[in-house]
This record gives sequence, C-alpha cells and structure tokens, in this order.
Amino acid sequence: MTQAKKLHFIIIDDSKLDCFIADKIIRNTGKCESVTTFLQATEAIEYIAKTPPHDEHTRTIVLVDIQMPVMNGFEFVEAFEKLPPSVIKHYTLYVISSSINENDIYKLQNYASVKQFLNKPLTSNTLAAILG
Amino acid sequence: MNAFEKIKVLYIDDEQNNLNSFKATFRFDYTILIAQDTNKAFEQLKANPDIRVILCDQRMPDKTGVEFFEEACALYPAPVRILLTGYADLESVIDAINKGHIFRYIKKPWTDVDIKSAIEEGNKFYITTSMLAIKNKELQSAYDELGKFAYSVTHDMRGPLLSVIGALEISKSMDSIVEIREILDMMDAAVKKLDEFIKNMHEYYNLKRMELIFEEVDFTKVVSDVGAFFNIGGKMDKVKFSFNVVQNEVFLCDEIAIKIILNNLLSNAFKYQRRKAENKFVEVNVEVKNNEATLIVKDNGIGIEESHIPRVFDMFYRATSEETGSGFGLYNVKDALNKLNGTIDVSSVVNEGTVFKVIIPGKPNDAS
Repeated sequence: MTQAKKLHFIIIDDSKLDCFIADKIIRNTGKCESVTTFLQATEAIEYIAKTPPHDEHTRTIVLVDIQMPVMNGFEFVEAFEKLPPSVIKHYTLYVISSSINENDIYKLQNYASVKQFLNKPLTSNTLAAILG
Repeated sequence: MNAFEKIKVLYIDDEQNNLNSFKATFRFDYTILIAQDTNKAFEQLKANPDIRVILCDQRMPDKTGVEFFEEACALYPAPVRILLTGYADLESVIDAINKGHIFRYIKKPWTDVDIKSAIEEGNKFYITTSMLAIKNKELQSAYDELGKFAYSVTHDMRGPLLSVIGALEISKSMDSIVEIREILDMMDAAVKKLDEFIKNMHEYYNLKRMELIFEEVDFTKVVSDVGAFFNIGGKMDKVKFSFNVVQNEVFLCDEIAIKIILNNLLSNAFKYQRRKAENKFVEVNVEVKNNEATLIVKDNGIGIEESHIPRVFDMFYRATSEETGSGFGLYNVKDALNKLNGTIDVSSVVNEGTVFKVIIPGKPNDAS
C-alpha cells in the first residue's frame, strides 16, 4: 500500500451494537474516510449496486456478518459476486462472525471475493492487521 | 401402527381350491387377500401397502415362488415372505433363505398350526423392523434438530456475549459520559436478547417434555393475565391493548400450553409495531363455542411479507431484522398447538398489520 489514500468502509450486521463497535474502532484508526452501516444486507447490496465509486482508485472495505435474517452473509456474497466487475473491483470483502462452525468457515473459501474470515468481536488489533 | 389390528395376509397359489380353503380357514383370524398368479399378487401389493405377510406357493406355472419373492423383495421390502413348498424343491429354498428373500418356509401339505405360527412369527418380525424404521426416523429428526440447535446456539448465545465483550473493550477508551451511556444502553439490549433466547429455549424444552394437564380454562382470566404483562411496555410505546372474550361454557384444556401460545403471539404483536405510526393497537378476541376455542390476535404493525409467511413457524426463522427475536417464538406456538391438536392461520399485509387465528379443540367433557 502506497499509503495516504483514505479508505471507505461498509459494515453490514443486524446487531446495532456490533455496528456501533465496528464504527468506533474503524474511526479510531484515523485511516478512514467514511463508515456506512447497514442493519439489512439487502439494503447494502442495493447501495453498492447504485453508488458510483468515490473515484477510480478508492477501495471500500466491506465487513459483513454471516447470520442475519432475511438475507444472510452467504446470500449477500453471492449477490455481490453477481454485480458487474467494474463495481466489484472497488470493494474488498471480509466476513465477520461469532460462528465457530467449521462448515461456515470452509464454505467461505469457495467465494473468490471473500478476502478473509474475521472473528467477532472486531478489535483494533484485527483491524490494524488487515489494513497492513 | 397398531399391533392388535387384524394382520393383512396375501396368499398366492395357482390352484383355486387351495386359495378357497386357505381363505375359509383363516378369514376370522386375519384379513386375507388372495391371488392366483404373480401379476395379480403385484396388483394386490400395490393396492395394499399395509400387507404384513405374504405366503406363496413354490410351484406355479408362470414363475416359482422363489422367483416371485426375489422380485417382490426389491419392490415391496416391508412384508414378511413365507414360502409353501414340497421336499423336492429344497435346494432352491435353501438358496432363497440364504439370500434373505424368505423369512420361513412351510412344507406341504401344510397344517393350520404351521400356517398360524408362521404368520404370527412373521408379524412379530414385521412389527419389530417397522418400529425400528420409525424409531430411526425419529432419531434422525432429533439429530437434525440438535444440529440446527447447536449451530444456532453459537450465534444466538455467543453473539450477544461477544458484542458485550467488544463494547466493554471500546468503552475503556471512552471519556464522554454521553457516549458511555449510549453504549450501556446497547449492552443492556444485547444482554436482554440473550436472556430472552434462554427463556425461549427453556419454554421449548418444557413443551417437548410436557404432559398435558386438562383443567377448566377461564379465557377472560388467561387473556387479562398475559395481556397485563405486555400492556406495561405497550403503554410506553403507545400501543393500545384491548380484548374481548365470549365464553359461556366450560372449556377443558392445558392452560400452560394456551399461555405459551398467547404469550408468544402477543409478544410479537407488541414487538413488531410500526414505531412512528399513530393509533397502534393489539386486539385479542376469544370465542368459545361447541367445545372449541377460537383466538384471534390482531395488530396494525409492520406485517409479514408474503414470501416469508410459509416459513414463519420454522425454528430459528426470522422474517425481519428489526427488533430482537430469537426465532423460537412461533415455532413454540406451533409445537404447543400440535400437542393440543389445534391449528393456526396467519394473514398479513406489510405495513398494515397481521392477524393470527388459532383454533383449539377442548377436551371432550365426559360429564355432559
């Protein structure tokens, strides 16, 4: 990373508290330009599909929970992968969950767009590690 | 499966005389079906899936009994197969027994006692294997449920705990009282969610083990008891609660099961309100007539999307991300209703409201 460029974040989690925690930790890094939170994955997918990239070079980091009602994390990733490549390339996906189910974690490896699985709760150390 | 009902027996023989005398001899003890050739036998097997024992003569023009059983075994594995044969066919009989196609053979000419004992033994074998199949199925569904359960526990119990751990961690570096208060409120909600999950789980296990206790149910009392609990919170959220009970007869039922049903339906009705709407209400109507209770729980809340309606009674299914829900509530309602032989219907319009209609039969009152 050549640095200096600030990052945008999207948090998708049905738990308000978890969104709040992620928001706080991300803002505390001082490396973020914006944080947008969604309690419903359907709204996030709509937002990503409709919002034009901030500029050609920005990347947005997406943190998505697995177990959510209506649209869960897996369904979100599948819907995300169906978006045009020109949209997808501006995003990096991380899945974050309280799940300790091996099947869930194994299943995630099948999704090309998922960069990494993160355990809840999100901590400043974990975040620092993924931001390099 | 009733072990005492008459055993259904199929007898196949190419000689009509044998068929007739067989039927005449055993028709009081068993339900006898007969067939003069193997095609007819297959028709009978198809039409009568409850045949438990098949007896077949070895020497028939179109096929031997052993050949018939080999085919029948593949298509209809459940009935027990017994061969009737003379000494001359012993080789093929031994072969058939070793291959597992026949349960027993009876040498001809047979006696009534031979046949009866073979049918009785065959029936015992049939019941044991069928019971085993049923038990296996029950066991499998219990395993599936346990798997689903264990999976959900990691999320529903661990989730709120991890949230609180995360919140505690970030609150350590907070200085603003306003911010700390805000995070405390959210921690409070997370812990309450966990508590609700545990309470629902307790309810679920109680229901599984519960023996029904039938007693007189006074719906006016039940509805006002359960309603009063929600009405406290409801008043804060400006949800108007009203109920009407018409009951002019004694109704025998399990009061705890009814309370579980009403409790969950009311909890949902109060919970899934449109926050900013005016004139929010929850209405309960009960009518007891002809030993049947009809409960209607109506609200003008957020409603349920049509595509979610078929799954709302599934365990851990949640149709909305709004509010805290365990995914247990309506499953428990359905479970309780299954115990009471009751039914439930739901009709709902998004942003207009939901109506649950429950029908519960009372226990027949012996005194009347």
